[in-house]
Amino acid sequence: MSALGIPGIDRDDAIPDPPRRRRRATNWRHAALAAVLVLPNMALLFLFTYRPLIDNIRISFYHWNISSPRMTFVGLDNYTRYFSDPESWQIMLQTLLFTGAAVIGSMVIGLALALLLDRALKGRNLVRAVVFAPYVISGAAIGVAFQFVFDPNFGLVQDILGWFSIASPNFYQHRWWALFMVTFTYIWKNLGYTFVIYLAALQGRRSDLDEAAEIDKTPPWRRFWRITLPQLRGTTVFLSITVLLNSFQVFDIIQVMTAGGPYETATTTMVYQVYQETFVNSQAGYGSAVATVMFVVVLIITVAQARLQKEN
Amino acid sequence: MTFTRRSFISLAGATAATASLAACAGGSGAGAGASDGGDGAIEFWSNHPGGSKDLEEAMIAAWNEANPDTPATLVTAGANYEEISQKVNAALTGGRLPDVFITSDVTWFNFALNEATTPLDELWTANDVDSDDIVDTLREDYLFDGKHYGMPYCRSTCLMYFNSDVLAAAGLPTDRGPETWEEFAQWAPALVAANGGKPALVVPDGSNYLDWYFQGMAWAFGGAYSEEWTPTFSSPETVAAGQFLKEQAAAGHIAVDANADNTFSIGGASGLLQSTGSLGGLTEAAAFPFITTFLPGPSPACPTGGGGLAIPAGISEERKNNAMRFVDFITSTENTITFSQGTGYMPMRKSALEHADEVAFLTENPNAQTAIDQLAANTASQDYARVFVPGGGARIGGGLDRITIGGEEVATVFASLDKETQDVIDRDITPLLP
Amino acid sequence: MSTALSPAAASPAAVPSAAPKALPPTPGTQAAGEPPMNARQSARRRAISGDGGSPVGRAFGYGAMVLTALVFLLPLYFILITSLKTHGDIYSDPISWIPDPFAPENFSTVMNNLNFGTYLRNSIIITAILTIVEVTLGVLSAYGFAFLRFPGRDLLFLLLIGSLMVPNQITIISNYSMVAQWGWRNTFAGIIVPLAGVAFGAFLMRNHFLSLPTEIMEAAEMDSAGFFRTLFKVVLPMSWPTVSAFVLITVVTEWNQYLWPFLIASDDSVMPLPIGLTQLQNSEGMTNWGPVMAGTIITTLPMLLVFILLQKQMIKGLTAGAVKG
Repeated sequence: MSALGIPGIDRDDAIPDPPRRRRRATNWRHAALAAVLVLPNMALLFLFTYRPLIDNIRISFYHWNISSPRMTFVGLDNYTRYFSDPESWQIMLQTLLFTGAAVIGSMVIGLALALLLDRALKGRNLVRAVVFAPYVISGAAIGVAFQFVFDPNFGLVQDILGWFSIASPNFYQHRWWALFMVTFTYIWKNLGYTFVIYLAALQGRRSDLDEAAEIDKTPPWRRFWRITLPQLRGTTVFLSITVLLNSFQVFDIIQVMTAGGPYETATTTMVYQVYQETFVNSQAGYGSAVATVMFVVVLIITVAQARLQKEN
Repeated sequence: MTFTRRSFISLAGATAATASLAACAGGSGAGAGASDGGDGAIEFWSNHPGGSKDLEEAMIAAWNEANPDTPATLVTAGANYEEISQKVNAALTGGRLPDVFITSDVTWFNFALNEATTPLDELWTANDVDSDDIVDTLREDYLFDGKHYGMPYCRSTCLMYFNSDVLAAAGLPTDRGPETWEEFAQWAPALVAANGGKPALVVPDGSNYLDWYFQGMAWAFGGAYSEEWTPTFSSPETVAAGQFLKEQAAAGHIAVDANADNTFSIGGASGLLQSTGSLGGLTEAAAFPFITTFLPGPSPACPTGGGGLAIPAGISEERKNNAMRFVDFITSTENTITFSQGTGYMPMRKSALEHADEVAFLTENPNAQTAIDQLAANTASQDYARVFVPGGGARIGGGLDRITIGGEEVATVFASLDKETQDVIDRDITPLLP
Repeated sequence: MSTALSPAAASPAAVPSAAPKALPPTPGTQAAGEPPMNARQSARRRAISGDGGSPVGRAFGYGAMVLTALVFLLPLYFILITSLKTHGDIYSDPISWIPDPFAPENFSTVMNNLNFGTYLRNSIIITAILTIVEVTLGVLSAYGFAFLRFPGRDLLFLLLIGSLMVPNQITIISNYSMVAQWGWRNTFAGIIVPLAGVAFGAFLMRNHFLSLPTEIMEAAEMDSAGFFRTLFKVVLPMSWPTVSAFVLITVVTEWNQYLWPFLIASDDSVMPLPIGLTQLQNSEGMTNWGPVMAGTIITTLPMLLVFILLQKQMIKGLTAGAVKG
């Protein structure tokens, strides 16, 4: 298992147990306590997440119209259809671009904001609340608010570009600008998450290291690279995984801002495709196949990412 | 190898011991065995179209007063038609089914095709519902295999809106719109010039149902998306309509916009092609006078849309009959008048159009009159390729984006629409057709 | 590898010379015999943690803060003014920056036309129960995964993280048919139980627990302190900032749940705010966004309040640590 390299799984290597413990095969006191602590939660996850996931994988081998009482076994048909449709690859590419930008963007900016607002600046409490606010607001409201930002006729962006005599792109109608728009909006809305987790980590870290660095008169940049960042390493790993998984599941922003368009699918990501196929086009079997492919893609990326981080 | 869905889904759920026993009992169809009979209460699943929650509650209160044995409850089942249909689909897997639910122009057919909703014809007869009083176009929209699967409820059509000030400034008539799209093309340069270079007409883009609005234009050119189950995008007439749209867009006469209503209401275009549903909002929002007109002909050149009422197939006969009486009540002459005046949707009974209250209302609201006149004179039922083929609307909308904002060749795009549509029909429709 | 993975182990040399027999000084706990800091020491702590820096640094800091505030406030400002505009005033070219006429009646529309109080009550019930359950389950399972050795631990933990990869769009139909068969449709149990499993929080807390100095756990172990004593006297006091973040994210997530409660709830008795508020949107034609934005603001404010309360908690974690060190 440790070969998978999920961070922290290999903790046994990092933190040696006391020698007397090492010889025992199983510590039954630990195991009993662990069962009480861990199993209720795992039971809920199995019942409400893994059981449906297995269902989903089974359904992906059937032709099933979601409104129909009948389902017909079709073997790998849904998968053949998925992989032979160029649109699927386009949507996968868009999903990866969106996710990559969302992970990098929200982690870098979130950390920068957490560092900034960790400093003793007047008014930081207010700005903290402001940065967090979009995370709380519904996607529908955000979509409307960003019309005023991106609309080609009366939006803020075209106003600002107008000052420099630059024509604004039509964000809703250009394939890549539309993807940029939903990505930007998603990062803006979800920065509160990375910000808060980083902020909590900064608050919880041990200040004796900073103090030692202060005495050594280490310059701030080196202090950041040598001390702060390594201290935040666990948090960074945690965030890179959870932000990746969250952004893969983006739905409401796209639904409200572009409905997956323009050009039918220019801002469609894989979860949105699953939703469209299953609930709008009623092709639940095919939708399940897309969902299964997506699950595998996410799994591969997560494991690869974890391995990379381990190697560093 | 074929399973019924309920047993299939519960199979995987057998880990949960509680679920497995219940699952064996059912399996005969879409309905949930236990709740099949119901208790006399009628559940009406609605998204309150057109902001109609108060109206619906008032109608239900009146029904409950008159029918204390079969009281109705209003369930908010979603923010839009897609969400209702999602909730109904979930219920089909084993929850309590609603007695009546709202289903849109693009969602009703899939329920009917998969026998999830019940044909209404026998229920009409059994419950003395005068189906001939329903406006013919609206009733026939729900026809499949000789039977009707929906009752018109919140029905809309397309409308053209024109800024009267600009029409006057351009020296054009202010009491009518262009009668043909060719006439529109003649008017357009004057409209553009009179309004500071802004487009003569704005239409919603492909993500916002351009496929619905363009359908009427295709008809006016003699084309269509399909003839029954045969896609006809590549017919010369349909391609000509696409070519017209593309040229007008390239010339700056027609703009395609994500927020078309707002662009028009702030004066960003002289005309607007939109649903009747926008009439109320525009009356409040626009700072200038405007007229509403038919879509340019020749007739028919305008599709209808909106939602109707359907009754699930998996409930008992008694529940179906109660549901039908309830449906008849909330679409009664008086109720359809109140509902349509409060929301901007069309009255769906012929008797309503002759009713004194309605006549008086229409005299005062000529813009509402336009929609009703057009219903009789200029509408037809929608093409299968858009409303019956899964994903049809989004597919056609995306194709129209490609020619309007992407500038691609009409013939190429429409040929690919033909092929994609045919593929879906062959795969998802043909095996299920009777 | 060992140094890379655990922040605590990253710089073992820097770990204070903790006596292995006694609990070392930890943030938030006052170990017996720890000398209190003198004034100069604490002043230096403040200077470091606050990072006063040079005047240039401060100016840069304020500049960045103002820029941040602008980027975030502008769209928020549109939500605010839209909530105070009449239908006709919402869209205009150029944009109107001040509502004219001023339309506070959007707020009374929301309060009066909807069963607002009921939705609010339901939201509070659902969010409160879910938060308590999830935080409890999350902390307990994190404790198990971080500090206990038991067979199958690594596999279970992988499955925990793996469950984050499953989007709810693919679980709802299957879960619905099961929950409906239990007769839980339109009940709080039906909304709450399927959402109660926690993966994110368990992952977060476990990561944090692993970053705690190992000596503490060893000392507690040697002390043969019981599980509850170790959890409440040793582990949690050093974890409040992270626990606060966990609570905060959980409250916000559950407060905004849409898809699942939407399927399960069928009347006002259990419907939470986000679903109740959809009645303000027009499914065809033009939505009057004024009342929708007013509803959004009313729904958002309690969450901002929770944020302000909890972020104080996060800072307290720091100051307690800084003072008692």
